[in-house]
Amino acid sequence: MKSLSTLRSLIAGTFLAVAGLLSPLPAAAQSAYEAPLPADINTNPDLCASLPCQEVLPGADSFSERMGKPSYVEAYRTDNGDKQLVGYVFLSTDIVDIPAYSGKPVITLIGMDTQGIITGTKILRHSEPILLLGIPESVLTKFVNQYLGKYVGDKIEIGKGRDEEGYIGLDAITGATVTVIAQNQVVMRSGVAIARQVGILKIEPKPAIRFSALDEKLGWDQLVKEGSVQRLTVKPEQLGMPRDDQPYVDMYFGYLNTPSVGKSVLGDGGYRNLMSRLGPDDHAIFIVSNGSDTFKGSGFVRGGIFDRVQVAQDMDAYTFRDLDYLNLWGLEAAGAPSYKESAIFIIRGQGFSAAYPWKLVFLANKLDRETGHRDFVSFDREYWVLDKYQEAGRPTVVKPDAPWVRVWKMRAVEIGLFTALLVAVAVVYASRDALTRRSTRKNKWPVNAFKYTFWVISIGFVGFGLLAQPSITQVLTWFHSLLFKWQWELFLTDPFIFLFWIFIILTTFVWGRGLFCGWMCPFGSLSELIYKVAGAIGLKRFQFALPMKWHNRLKWIKYGVFFVLLAVSVFSMGLAEKLAEVEPFKTTFLVGMFNRAWPYTLFVAVLLGLSIFIERPFCKYLCPLGASLAMPSTFRWFGLKRKQECSSCKACAVGCGSLAIDEHGRIDHRECMHCLDCMILYTDEHACPPLSQERKRRTKAGLPLTPIGKDGYYIPIKPVPAAAPRA
Amino acid sequence: MNEARMNPVEEMPDPSRRKFLNTAALAGLAGAGLSVGLSACNKESAPAPAASGGAPAAPAAAHAASDIKLHMAPGELDTYYGVWSGGHSGECRILGLPSGREIKRIPTFNIDPMSGWGITNESKKVIGTRPDGQLKYKTGDTHHIHGSYTDGTYDGKYFWVNDKIHGRVARIRGDRFECDAITEIPNIQGFHGIFSDKRDPVDPAINYTTRVFCGNEFHIPQPNDGRDLDDPTKYYCLFTCVDAETMEVRWQCKVDGNMDLVASSYDGRFACSNQYNTEGGARYEDMMSAEMDACVFFDIARIEQAIKDGKSFTVGDSNVPVVDGTKAANADPKTALTAYVPVPKNPHGVNASPDGKYMICSGKLSPTCTVIEVSKVADFLDGNLDDVRKSVVAEVEVGLGPLHTTYDGRGNAFTTLFLDSQIVKWNIDAAIKFHDGDKSVQYVVDRIDVHYQPGHISSDMGETKEASGQFLAVGCKFSKDRFLPVGPMHPENEQLIDIRGEKMVLLADHPVHPEPHDFVIVRRDIIKTFQVAELDWHPLALRDAKESGVFREGNKVTVKIASQAPAYSLREFTIKQGDEVTIILTNLDKVEDLTHGWAMPKYDINFTVNPQETKSVTFTADKPGVFWCYCTHFCHALHLEMRTRMIVEPA
Repeated sequence: MKSLSTLRSLIAGTFLAVAGLLSPLPAAAQSAYEAPLPADINTNPDLCASLPCQEVLPGADSFSERMGKPSYVEAYRTDNGDKQLVGYVFLSTDIVDIPAYSGKPVITLIGMDTQGIITGTKILRHSEPILLLGIPESVLTKFVNQYLGKYVGDKIEIGKGRDEEGYIGLDAITGATVTVIAQNQVVMRSGVAIARQVGILKIEPKPAIRFSALDEKLGWDQLVKEGSVQRLTVKPEQLGMPRDDQPYVDMYFGYLNTPSVGKSVLGDGGYRNLMSRLGPDDHAIFIVSNGSDTFKGSGFVRGGIFDRVQVAQDMDAYTFRDLDYLNLWGLEAAGAPSYKESAIFIIRGQGFSAAYPWKLVFLANKLDRETGHRDFVSFDREYWVLDKYQEAGRPTVVKPDAPWVRVWKMRAVEIGLFTALLVAVAVVYASRDALTRRSTRKNKWPVNAFKYTFWVISIGFVGFGLLAQPSITQVLTWFHSLLFKWQWELFLTDPFIFLFWIFIILTTFVWGRGLFCGWMCPFGSLSELIYKVAGAIGLKRFQFALPMKWHNRLKWIKYGVFFVLLAVSVFSMGLAEKLAEVEPFKTTFLVGMFNRAWPYTLFVAVLLGLSIFIERPFCKYLCPLGASLAMPSTFRWFGLKRKQECSSCKACAVGCGSLAIDEHGRIDHRECMHCLDCMILYTDEHACPPLSQERKRRTKAGLPLTPIGKDGYYIPIKPVPAAAPRA
Repeated sequence: MNEARMNPVEEMPDPSRRKFLNTAALAGLAGAGLSVGLSACNKESAPAPAASGGAPAAPAAAHAASDIKLHMAPGELDTYYGVWSGGHSGECRILGLPSGREIKRIPTFNIDPMSGWGITNESKKVIGTRPDGQLKYKTGDTHHIHGSYTDGTYDGKYFWVNDKIHGRVARIRGDRFECDAITEIPNIQGFHGIFSDKRDPVDPAINYTTRVFCGNEFHIPQPNDGRDLDDPTKYYCLFTCVDAETMEVRWQCKVDGNMDLVASSYDGRFACSNQYNTEGGARYEDMMSAEMDACVFFDIARIEQAIKDGKSFTVGDSNVPVVDGTKAANADPKTALTAYVPVPKNPHGVNASPDGKYMICSGKLSPTCTVIEVSKVADFLDGNLDDVRKSVVAEVEVGLGPLHTTYDGRGNAFTTLFLDSQIVKWNIDAAIKFHDGDKSVQYVVDRIDVHYQPGHISSDMGETKEASGQFLAVGCKFSKDRFLPVGPMHPENEQLIDIRGEKMVLLADHPVHPEPHDFVIVRRDIIKTFQVAELDWHPLALRDAKESGVFREGNKVTVKIASQAPAYSLREFTIKQGDEVTIILTNLDKVEDLTHGWAMPKYDINFTVNPQETKSVTFTADKPGVFWCYCTHFCHALHLEMRTRMIVEPA
């Protein structure tokens, strides 16, 4: 029995170790990744019944029920029976809806004292893949802990901070920029919203709109064309439902207080009636909708809110209940469409100013067809009362840059340098003939000086510096974006990867993938540099290449890896991302070899260790990214040159580190790393056998040695038909 | 003269009635006309073919297509409010038009167990009680309903309706569609016509309704306290002005003759009322002796000045100032308070045209309509016109039994022909030309059969300067064969007619519970109602469910209860037999449409409280035992469980 249980524990241990490889997080540690949360987290009046409010507001011993709009709870401490308000606790998703990298919000519980100082933040749930795989979750915790002691009224941003402009900087998480930018907005916006509500921050209401004297009746088409009526359409496929010609909702909406718009839409009587119902801070909008579903829902019937539409302006969201709803009698504007459903909603509150832009937000559930899981999604459309309807025109609105814009601005210098680097590489490679002619088999420095420089730069600056190591996951993401929804923002958030990919795509189709793989890939460069250095320091005798027979078999592995990943990604992007750890890139550059669990470090160590003896083992046999680029390389525009004699001559093939030249002398551009050794030979009159033969012939015959032409032959002395160079 | 002749309606057989009308009814009317001596009318009657009254409308017209949308798709809203009187049901009603759907009943002079009108203390206070706390009246007869005006059109603030039986005027708030005040007018019987004024005759700043004018049909000995029961010289009628805001009677005016309907001029100077029995006869034959009846015009400014000048008296117990508006007391037109414009006998209905120029009296017994030019009446009273009859600018035959007229705002009048069961569309300007002598003018534009015996008629916004001429409703007194038979009592038939084109098109029949008389059709954007009530409306409202409880002062017990779906704030309450119990119930739900009810078995109490509304009832707990008070208005999935025990301990 004992031996059996030992065996069992051994098996279990082995299993754990294997599981550990896939999921490096210590099983014991509590992870917030997709953590289950109480179902009523957003509605339970007693927020703190199920959430760790005390953790974010140390010292509090009791909490109120949810109050306010957006909601928060008051935290109290009882000293000698004296109950004192010590602060506020609020849930980020009650206040803001800012998706992080995963497209889902990081649900955060935040505590703030009565002075507006953040007392605690706790991430209850996130869906960030990078935190699942690459970066320990504690890093995010460490990040949000930076808010402790910060005042919510401060301007806090990610990065170094700009003292001169009063910005306080926070240390970002390397490799998770988008996550932290989103999280910064979550914490700061939530804090400001509650601080404003409880009076810590003074509400500075935006000046109310003052209408111009313009008062004209417009037809429907004019209203739509000039932008006084906007349209928000949501298609069923955007909600994970089967594609259909009929939209899910197709809403026209507009702001009715504007006299021209209100009178055009409602008629004079309707406008008069509506305006007489509105208080000084009330604003009316109308919505008419067609589509297969309702924008009203039924939540309002028993006094709840209309749970499918809201109006958002800056940090404020306005929802509506039955008493904020009025019948829209009809559309008076000539040419108005028919509709299935209509409403007038009244936005109440001093915070709203129609002089400034606002958004109509449609809230929906999206069905994830892979998992059957429903997610909260929102769609919005901006509305801004036209210049001509405002007495002083539209006020200047400084919109905070989109996260990706901020990244681009923040890293403008590096982006400039990186772009210059990419251009330089392209220019150098485009000038390869000049360089290869200057080189000989014995002296390849005219080429290698550039190549090695680029290697070093790509390892140091691009890889370790900018963390711009392209990855197969990006290919998978594109693939999915092409299939489902293309979002430029998603790709623009990482400018280096974005630029790198432009470079990769262009050069792959022009020259083949070898320029990226052989010259610019940080890991590839590192791998070959190790090989070269090892060779140079005397390990050359231990270095070897696999026999062509084996190489030609093993090289297909990487295609297999690629297609497996692609197939898995169709079913689960999450699993595909985990499996993409076959790339050692994240460990090597993004996170650092010593910041990861040992299996990852070991994997990288093995690959780099092998690189001492074999040239680019990972690139040749495993790299799915290389495989994905190898396929389009088939269609490259310009290839490397070949001569007629190459079909029988083995000189180049012998020296080809990539093992890309077959027995017939053909270069496989899917495998070629563009080391250019064969191109150096091509014009080397001492090393290229046919050229050498001709040189000897001419020398013997006393003929002059004319320059070598583009076809790799001496320019003929007499005009004779030259053999066409073979590509 | 016999009854049958006076009322040929009853002779009418139903089948082939049109044919019959062409012969027998005409003959009957001719007889009546001769016997009552309608010489003025007959003199002017030319054999205008259009006015012969008998030409049946082309059947095609009745079935002609109209694109007015009658059927509201689910969720679609009507474009007009129809504000309807309910006749001797004593109530008023709101219809959605043009669909004809009944949206609400407004208990007014009647008792309504649904809402508790006539049961709750609040409604009893409005209706009026005897010293013992019982209702003073349980019956009422609403006829005419008219709205408050601003700048010549409805403002949606109030509607007023008469109670013909007891001489009361009720006000309905346009923001709740509930009756909020009832005033009993002193010294009158048969309060028939009613109309709000459209602006002040003197102050141009008051371009809205401040007065409500009330006609008086039955003359009675004044004061009617039993002293002059059979002395015709003591009998007279009083025209009454009620303050629109306070609902107090401002003044009254003694008048010759009986007043039928009332209208007010757009310029604010006049109210007028068509009259029959200008003879002041108490018996039928006495009422028919004069050659002409009249439409009496009241110069409001002069009457009010006379009262200021102290030229008034009072009648009986009433301290309302009364001025003398009889012909005898107003011989000099320049100072006269009233002007009696002679019209053919016995007129019915007077309606102001939307352009403000004319008052049109319908002839009833005379087949004519009389067009009185308002400015010429003014001329007469200002001494610029020698004969008030010269204010009649047209008096043309339109058909048999003309009763009421409405307008399309495009110069056409639509008059109901009771005997012909028709509506005649005629052009006012053409009628004036015809009357002036151009007999070639065809003033009748179209006729259409209605079903049957039409009384009041009203077009969309037809009583305002915004008359928009889309459609009209006509209240047909007989429905006969138009609906599934339900026994001897038939519903009324409210019909809708498209009046946008030259030809009228009959659109729809709607059965209504008897018996609406008059109605107005108000554009929907004018009405602005509360979505829920406000706690402040009732001084005794519970602000919080915690305020509920049983509070005793001697044998007077107040039970304060709040309702919040699906429960009352008290699960039970105990009182003693013999206690005088007042229950105050506040509905603390704030959700639109979440109304609760309160029914008390064996105590004959039921009422509803709308969201944020408070109502109370007072009763003597004379029966010991347990009484389950429950919610009668479906409010919640647990509505049936919403109840409370009243425990009455035996004395």
